[in-house]
Amino acid sequence: MGNRADASTTVRLNADHIAFYNDRYLIEADGNVRVTTSEGMTITGDTLSMDLKLNRFLIAGNVHLRSPGGNIDGAAIADFLDFDRVYFVPVIQEPDRWTYVNGDFKHPLKGREMPGDVFYFPDLTHAKINLTAHSATIGAKEYVRFQGVTLRIAAARVPLPSEYIYFGTNPDLGQNSLAGANMDLTYNFAGNNNSISAVHLRKDQQNGVYASFEQHLAGPHGYAVVSLNPATKSQRFWTLVGDERIGKHFQLNSFSQLYQYSPNGFFKQPAAASTWTYLTATQSFTQSYLTAQAVFTNYNLIGPSQPAIENHPFQLHLMASTVPHRIGRTPLFESLSYGFGANHDALGLQNYGGYTYTTLWDHSFNANVYVSNIKFGNRHNAYKTYYFNGSYTKSYTWYSMPHWDVYDTTNLTLSRQFNRAFSSYIGYNVAHTGDYYRQGGWSQPLNPPVINGVPVYSLLAFRGVSTLRTATIGATYTTNPNFVATVLYQHHQDFPIPYPGLFPQPPTNNLGDPLYANYLGQPPNNITGDIRFLAMPHVALDVSREYFFNFGTQRWAPSFTIQVIGQ
Amino acid sequence: MMRRLLALVCTLAVLGAAAPAVSISGQLLAYQQGYVFFTSGNGFHVAPNVRILDDTTKAPTTLQPRPRLFARAVFNEAGQVVELDLSKTALPLQPLSPLVQKYVVAASPSYPNPELAPKTSGTNELTATNTAGMTFSGKPVLIVFEVEVPPSTPFNTQVYMATDTSGWNPQAFRMERVDALHFRLVQRFRSGTIIHYLYTRGSLQSEERSASGLDMPPRTLVVTNADVRAVNDHVYAWADLNTVNGTRIQPDVQPTPFNPAPFPNLPVGFPTPHPR
Repeated sequence: MGNRADASTTVRLNADHIAFYNDRYLIEADGNVRVTTSEGMTITGDTLSMDLKLNRFLIAGNVHLRSPGGNIDGAAIADFLDFDRVYFVPVIQEPDRWTYVNGDFKHPLKGREMPGDVFYFPDLTHAKINLTAHSATIGAKEYVRFQGVTLRIAAARVPLPSEYIYFGTNPDLGQNSLAGANMDLTYNFAGNNNSISAVHLRKDQQNGVYASFEQHLAGPHGYAVVSLNPATKSQRFWTLVGDERIGKHFQLNSFSQLYQYSPNGFFKQPAAASTWTYLTATQSFTQSYLTAQAVFTNYNLIGPSQPAIENHPFQLHLMASTVPHRIGRTPLFESLSYGFGANHDALGLQNYGGYTYTTLWDHSFNANVYVSNIKFGNRHNAYKTYYFNGSYTKSYTWYSMPHWDVYDTTNLTLSRQFNRAFSSYIGYNVAHTGDYYRQGGWSQPLNPPVINGVPVYSLLAFRGVSTLRTATIGATYTTNPNFVATVLYQHHQDFPIPYPGLFPQPPTNNLGDPLYANYLGQPPNNITGDIRFLAMPHVALDVSREYFFNFGTQRWAPSFTIQVIGQ
Repeated sequence: MMRRLLALVCTLAVLGAAAPAVSISGQLLAYQQGYVFFTSGNGFHVAPNVRILDDTTKAPTTLQPRPRLFARAVFNEAGQVVELDLSKTALPLQPLSPLVQKYVVAASPSYPNPELAPKTSGTNELTATNTAGMTFSGKPVLIVFEVEVPPSTPFNTQVYMATDTSGWNPQAFRMERVDALHFRLVQRFRSGTIIHYLYTRGSLQSEERSASGLDMPPRTLVVTNADVRAVNDHVYAWADLNTVNGTRIQPDVQPTPFNPAPFPNLPVGFPTPHPR
């Protein structure tokens, strides 16, 4: 990932009026402008214009420069921070043009030609002010932190003590540890080159409206994120995410969470608590990589009196994976992986034949073959070309007890772009899962399960093998980048046959989406419509809803899913 | 007599036409110490009795010359600004005529800057660090991003693009599914924009990984002057699927207790596997 420890210039700005245009990352300041840079300059003047992306600023009007080269009055000064060039129009006896190179303020290059746009102000005709402030601290190419802020949201004016905005290219400071939400208003109230402190006001389907706190830290070789989410609800998660890159071929990742249920108050003893940690190490090689992962889980930190799972399993696995390789001159690609490891829980992992297994070793093999794109139809006309692709994956997992699982997954799709606005695809997916035991295994129940007084006989044929077939038709219509409409129809033909109320619904995340893709009991037909459009500059709205074609009591999904997304 | 009078009038008219007032217009940079400066960086002497007028009405104005205002400067024969017509709206930026060039006040003679010489060699490939010397019109460019995802990507997943222009929001730009392995996004960016981006599946815990299985630096795109641009990328792995034993790390989701049976939602009470 590289070293991000570049020494960067810090610019401190005070003025009567500072405006920030977030569309263009421009800071415009007027009246008693005073700038201090970490390079040792102090400049005063009438007005300032700074382009945060181009990383340069201009101060004009009654400029006074105090630098290691002395105190000089001038008409304007421009500092191109990326290039370590300062262009100055001093007015001593009469105006002149000086260029300071590489921080040498004692030996200006007098009369040297300057770039043509050194002293240009940006055209702000159609630009909108995002906030105003009294002072700002700018970490060149990384962040700006405003103080004495008035935030402008449409016609509203929101006073804030400070506002931090990160505009750097390092995603490490953008790492977050929060679960998804339908809406997230983030207030970065403090920060610098290496840290951001943020409060989030969020809304999701499970928790409603709540607040969260998140602290981001980033260094040259990694990052850490600590969060409390939701901070204002009785069920909350404390999270620590870490990433450390050691050399060019090795990295460590950690993800730890502490779950806490405190119905009696934030500082009261929780009624339930659990914790889990994923620790992953990855070593890369030329055409493959090795991953070791340990997972520690303690489902109950409170004690045996609590009605919670008391298990505390531990897993340790090692897996080698290859990157996709083309098979000869064919359009096929393949990738392989093989791994082994152990699972342990003193309270037992599985009971089979009257014996409780507390440790289970396993090893697994995974092979994938896929074809990326095969074109046919009129290949000279992009709107009449069809694209076919498919993939097949076979996985085996063998356990130290006489038990193994086999997974077969096949995906086939055919797609076409009909015109600039409309594209569509049809797909067919088969997920086949077999759970086998050398002696015995799954057997039918004595009686069929009864749902609402009706026996469901089809489940009696289940012997530990499921086949989920899904046919999909998807279409996308987009007239311009700011408006996208999609429709997705899926038909499932599964065994065991789904029956309303027979299979428990899978757990969902905060957005209401199932936590795993293939599960038993999916409604046979569902159609999803989704519209996404730009509601405001930099704010997109995504509205979707699903219909289940009268599967039991399921018709329309309980509500529209609405997401507000900052761009 | 009439002929002489006519000749005098003609002579005066010709003289008047031959010596029009010299002027330039542009945006003001500074007005101080007896000089007026334009954003070209050029400074000119201001006459002591300079008239400050409104550019539209040519009447005296309450506006005072200051940075950011636009102005038209009228020179006398001595090269001094004798009239300054101010405007809050943009006035055309005029190139300096040779005559006005002579009026520019500079203590030191100008000499070329080798750093501004056009580049004569180099690669055609634009990167975020070799755009110096390139010019960009700033026109909106339609960018079509198409990404191929690994076959292990779940079919019900969404793919997004996180960019530095959106503070690395992992859901900033949602992509549309093209088929089982491809997603597409169409966006407009102005030419000259340098975009750093990564593909994600909705969170930075599920961001893309490099072919080596490690974190990868952001992809970089320099938007050049074009009407449309196609970008084709390849994701080799996802961080949250880059785990062993099928474990997926998801915030606020307890790990599923170890279950040797791959059917997590069978009906309660259904017999578990047993020996015969």
